[in-house]
Amino acid sequence: MRHAPHAAYSISRSRALLASLRLAVLSFLADPQWLVPSMIAPVIFGLVAYELFLGSGPWFVIYAILGAGMMSMWGQTLYGSGWATGQDRELGTLEPTLSAPTPYLYVVFGRVAWNTVSGLLGGAIVFVVVAVTYGHPLPIVDPVAFALLFAVVIVSLASVGIVLSAAFVYTRYAGFIQNVGEFAFYVGTGCMFPVVLLPFWTTPFALIFPPTWALDALRYQAIPGYHGLPWGFAWDLLGAVVTTSAYLGAAGAVFRRVEHRVLEIGDLSDY
Amino acid sequence: MTDAIETHDLWRTFESRKGFFFNELVHTEALRGIDLQVDRGEIFGLLGPNGAGKTTLTKILSTLLLPTRGSARVLGLDVATQAHALRPRIGLVLGGERGLYNRISARENLRYFADLFGIPVERRDRRIREVLDWVGLTDAGDRRVEEFSRGMKQKLHLARGILHEPELLFLDEPTIGLDPKSARETRKLIRGLVANGVTIFLTTHYMFEAEELCQRIAVLTRGRIVARDTVAGLSRLVGGDRTIEVEGYGFEDAEVGAVKRLPGVSHVVSEEFGPRLRLTLRVRTPELTWETVKATLPGHPELALRERRTSLEDIYLDLVEEEA
Ligand SMILES: Nc1ncnc2c1ncn2[C@@H]1O[C@H](COP(=O)(O)OP(=O)(O)OP(=O)(O)O)[C@@H](O)[C@H]1O
Ligand SMILES: [Mg+2]
Repeated sequence: MRHAPHAAYSISRSRALLASLRLAVLSFLADPQWLVPSMIAPVIFGLVAYELFLGSGPWFVIYAILGAGMMSMWGQTLYGSGWATGQDRELGTLEPTLSAPTPYLYVVFGRVAWNTVSGLLGGAIVFVVVAVTYGHPLPIVDPVAFALLFAVVIVSLASVGIVLSAAFVYTRYAGFIQNVGEFAFYVGTGCMFPVVLLPFWTTPFALIFPPTWALDALRYQAIPGYHGLPWGFAWDLLGAVVTTSAYLGAAGAVFRRVEHRVLEIGDLSDY
Repeated sequence: MTDAIETHDLWRTFESRKGFFFNELVHTEALRGIDLQVDRGEIFGLLGPNGAGKTTLTKILSTLLLPTRGSARVLGLDVATQAHALRPRIGLVLGGERGLYNRISARENLRYFADLFGIPVERRDRRIREVLDWVGLTDAGDRRVEEFSRGMKQKLHLARGILHEPELLFLDEPTIGLDPKSARETRKLIRGLVANGVTIFLTTHYMFEAEELCQRIAVLTRGRIVARDTVAGLSRLVGGDRTIEVEGYGFEDAEVGAVKRLPGVSHVVSEEFGPRLRLTLRVRTPELTWETVKATLPGHPELALRERRTSLEDIYLDLVEEEA
């Protein structure tokens, strides 16, 4: 075989992102086990929530359904992103991937992109199944605004997922951290019920996470008469944008730092 | 032109935690002052027993691990500070079954890494066909990697390692776990690469493999290089060309001592085989006869002697044993 040293290839970040997205899709198709936690479980929760809250009026229903949709997106977008990096470590693919000249961050971006799409899909499925099962569409005040805010929520989740992935590059014990932190995050960001229902001292912690802001904004928009964080919809939205941008902006530096640190401690593979 | 590899007093310490509460900090000195120089275009062999530090050194040189102390230059670039410039120019093949995406096909695995390495899109598919063909996996290219045998996975690793046409390839135990036929095929592939001008840094447990492939060899034991030479030079290192094996039903320490003091005997290794004991003598002079050896061990009518050429494997074991 001809082997001519050496051709200087140019590294394209968008290409690495697309390659990673493609790998994520292929892996999902090859093993759709995530269907259960990310699509099927939320649908069941959604149906149960509908039955439970039906007597309390349509806005309670949408409130509950939102929670179920969030569950799906949490699973896909946030949990899935970190999990994939943990999987890389387990498979032994983290080393060859890091030895490629493309920064690992773009590989993570690609995965998060897929997880975002499938998370949206999961959320949509919950809505559709509930609507079809009970034979009437859910009341949505302004579908366009709703869709836009939904996208903001997803991106805010993704931004956390990206930063969380760095923890999985850093240490093989990140799965443990994530599992412990999952519940706190789940409740703290108001995935299932609003943060204002939590003890007051938890709010500052919850506000560190972009989804807290984004979700509260979504609820203000979707549920008339909703009482969430005291500063209301506009500040919620601004907070979501600011915190999400901060996470995304920090991601590059976090990854550079983590990639360097992990080469120092030598904890890249599982054996 | 700069050397392919050059290291100065390279150290690497690992810190790990042990004990029930992970409260016990353990320091492992995996590398203790490595000085190494590898020419361009050669196959350099790094030999050593388990835990010697071979993988650690390979990872440092391939930018996957930072040295604790000392410096290393690969293709003229510093592995710690110029890793980004270095990575596209080197390839890495870590032995074993891990390191591949099992649920997708061999071709998809290669495509993914081709994209990460920035192989031009118009060349990518052709290059993937080339490397699959090179390792003999053309027909299996569209099968999922989880269906692959160990040998096939190892070949796929090799294909990925050269996908981006590196100038220097690191091979960490490339034939580990392969049957003799596959191992031979792999060695043939490696020789083919060198014929094309690729420099190879290879680690192995097997002296015969290093002997067959490498121009120069370094022996690593417990983080230190205990010998570094050409194959011929190594043969001269520990003793002469003769190896005499003496077998009997147990020898007194005094008897072994007497054999060690025989003129021309440079090294004696004793091994037990059930009730029998074998002394392996490295002998420098042609003068030492079997009769002299027998005379040193009187009262052993069962004594059996055998002489053979000293192999590099013998020398390697001597070296590793001396250090331990
Ligand atoms: N990540 C790590 N954390 C802690 N100790 C490590 C780590 N990696 C290697 N070591 C230790 O460093 C030493 C050298 O290990 P290394 O894997 O380099 O040896 P090796 O020569 O490749 O062995 P083998 O032939 O078994 O592959 C060993 O004592 C090992 O336990
Ligand atoms: Mg090793």
